[in-house]
Amino acid sequence: MKTRLAILILVVLLALLPAYAGKYAVYVVIHILLLSIFSLGFNLLFGYTGLLSFGQAGFYAMGAYGCAKILLAYPSLLVGIVGGVVTAGAVSLLLGFLCIRHTRIYFSMLTLSFGMMIFSLAWKWRDMTGGDDGLVGIPRAPLEIPGLFKINMAPMENYYYVVLAFAILAITLFYRIVHSPMGLAMQGIRDSETRTACIGISVRKYRLLSFTIAGLYAGLAGALLPPLESTVTPPLAHWSHSAEPVLATLLGGVHTFAGPIVGSVLFYLLKDIIVRFTEYWQLCLGIIVVVLVMGFRGGVASIFLRERGRR
Amino acid sequence: MKAILRTESLGKYFGEMAAVHEVNLSLQEGLFTSVIGPNGAGKTTLINILSGYMLPDRGKIYFREKEITRLGPDKRVKMGISRSFQVMNIFPRMTVFQNILLPVLSRLNKTSSAFSSLQSQKEAVGEAEKILGEVWLQKEKDSRGGELSHGDQRLLELGIAVATNPQLCFLDEPSSGMNPIERIKVLELVKKLASERNTTFIIVEHDMDIVFSLSDWIVVMNRGEVLAEGKPGDIRENQEVRDIYLGEDI
Repeated sequence: MKTRLAILILVVLLALLPAYAGKYAVYVVIHILLLSIFSLGFNLLFGYTGLLSFGQAGFYAMGAYGCAKILLAYPSLLVGIVGGVVTAGAVSLLLGFLCIRHTRIYFSMLTLSFGMMIFSLAWKWRDMTGGDDGLVGIPRAPLEIPGLFKINMAPMENYYYVVLAFAILAITLFYRIVHSPMGLAMQGIRDSETRTACIGISVRKYRLLSFTIAGLYAGLAGALLPPLESTVTPPLAHWSHSAEPVLATLLGGVHTFAGPIVGSVLFYLLKDIIVRFTEYWQLCLGIIVVVLVMGFRGGVASIFLRERGRR
Repeated sequence: MKAILRTESLGKYFGEMAAVHEVNLSLQEGLFTSVIGPNGAGKTTLINILSGYMLPDRGKIYFREKEITRLGPDKRVKMGISRSFQVMNIFPRMTVFQNILLPVLSRLNKTSSAFSSLQSQKEAVGEAEKILGEVWLQKEKDSRGGELSHGDQRLLELGIAVATNPQLCFLDEPSSGMNPIERIKVLELVKKLASERNTTFIIVEHDMDIVFSLSDWIVVMNRGEVLAEGKPGDIRENQEVRDIYLGEDI
C-alpha cells in the first residue's frame, strides 16, 4: 500500500514538473527517463535472463536513426517513434538469432562486435546516416492522429509529457513481464539453463524473446531522442554508450525491478553535477561508481528492500 | 509389461575412452529400476544421454517406440521424460514455491504468457501447492531455494523433477550427501511418488542396502558397458558383479 502511494506521489510530481521547475530540469528528467527505459531493457537481458550485453547502444542508435529518417521524410511524431522502435526490434530479432546461441563471455563479445558494426555503419554509410556529421535538423513534429487530434510539440514541456507517457507505459509493461510466467521462465534461465531445459522450456526461445524485448526498449529510448535534440550522431552506437545502462543497473541493483530506474537517476545526476566542476569528470564518475557498487552490493535499491524486509 | 524406453547399441566416446559402449537396454514401465556400478562406470553419462542432456555418438533411443535420439531435453520433457541431477541443480534465487511453479507452468504450456500475473494462474498454483506438500516443503515455500539445507534442496530437486508430471523420471543419486536416515526417507518418498503418480523411476544410487530393498530391477554398469541386469536376487548372486562391484559381504 505504501509503495503504491509513493509511486502515485512520484507520478503526480513528475506530471506537475513543468509547472514548478525550469526548462533545464525538464530536459534533465527527459534524459533520466530515456536512460531508465534503456536500462530496464538491458536489465531484462542481464538481471532476469543472465545475459550481459555490451551492444545495446547499437539498438538505441537503430531506434534513433530510424525515427530521425522518418521524421525528416514524414513529420509525424507517432509514426517516427513507432518506426524507430520497429527498426530496432527487427534488427535485435535478427542479431538475436546469432547471439543467443552463446552465453557468458562469448555472448558479451558477440553483442559488443555487432554493436560496433552498427557504429561503423553509422560512421561510414554517409548517404544514409550523414556519416560523422550525423543527421541534423530533425523536426519535433506534432503528435497527431489525422482527424482526431494534433498537438504542437514545439514547446519542450509538451514533448516532456510524451516521453513521460511512453516511460510510464514501458515501466508498467516491464513490471507485468517480469512478474508473469514468461518472466519466471527467463529467471529460470538466469539461475540454471540446464535445469530450465530439463523442465521442458526452450532456453533459446526465451533468450531470443528477452533479447528482442531489450532491443525494443533500447529502440524506444533511442527513438525518443531525435525530437528532443534535433540531431543524431554515430557515438550513440558506440560501446561506451552501451556501458551507461550497465553502470546504471549495477548502481541501482541488478535483481530488483526498480534498480535500473534508481540507478539511472543516480548515474545521470552524478554525471551532470561532476561535469560542472572538472574536465576529468569521467575519472571522478568512475571512482564514485566503483565505490557505490562495492559499498552497496546488490545496488542502492536493495537498501530499501532490506529495510522493508526488516519491518 | 511393455518397454517404456529402449536403446540400441548406444555409444558415447571421449577420444579413446568409451564412456558408454554398446548399451542395449529395455526399461520396463512401472518397474522401479536402479542403475549401479563403480565410479566412472558411465551411469551419469547414460542418464545424460537418455534425458537428452547429451547426444550419443552412435546408437538409437526409443521412448514408447518413438525415436528420440536427437531430441533436446526440453522436447523430451514435453513427451514425458524428466530428471534430477547428481550435482544440485535448482533455481537458487527463486522461492521454493516458484521452483515448483515454473515446471508446472511449463507442463501446462503457460510460460509464454507475458502479461498475466503468476497468482492468476490458478490451476498451476494449486498444483504447485500440492507438490510442495508431497515433498514435505510446504513450510519452506517462501524461502529462497539456495537458502535451504542440503537435504531440503534434494527434496526440492525431486519436487521439480516430478512437477512436469513425467511418465519416466531419472534420478541421479537423489540422496547423495544425506545421512542414512534421510536417505531411507527420501527413497521411500520416491517409491511412494512412483505408485501415486504412476511414474516409472530410474535411479542411480550407491547405497546398496537401499538399492536391493527398493528396486524391482537392477542394471549393473562397468567401464561404459552393461555388465548384468536382472532382479535384485539374481544380481546379488551374480559372481561377476560381486567380483567387480558388490564384494562378498552383500
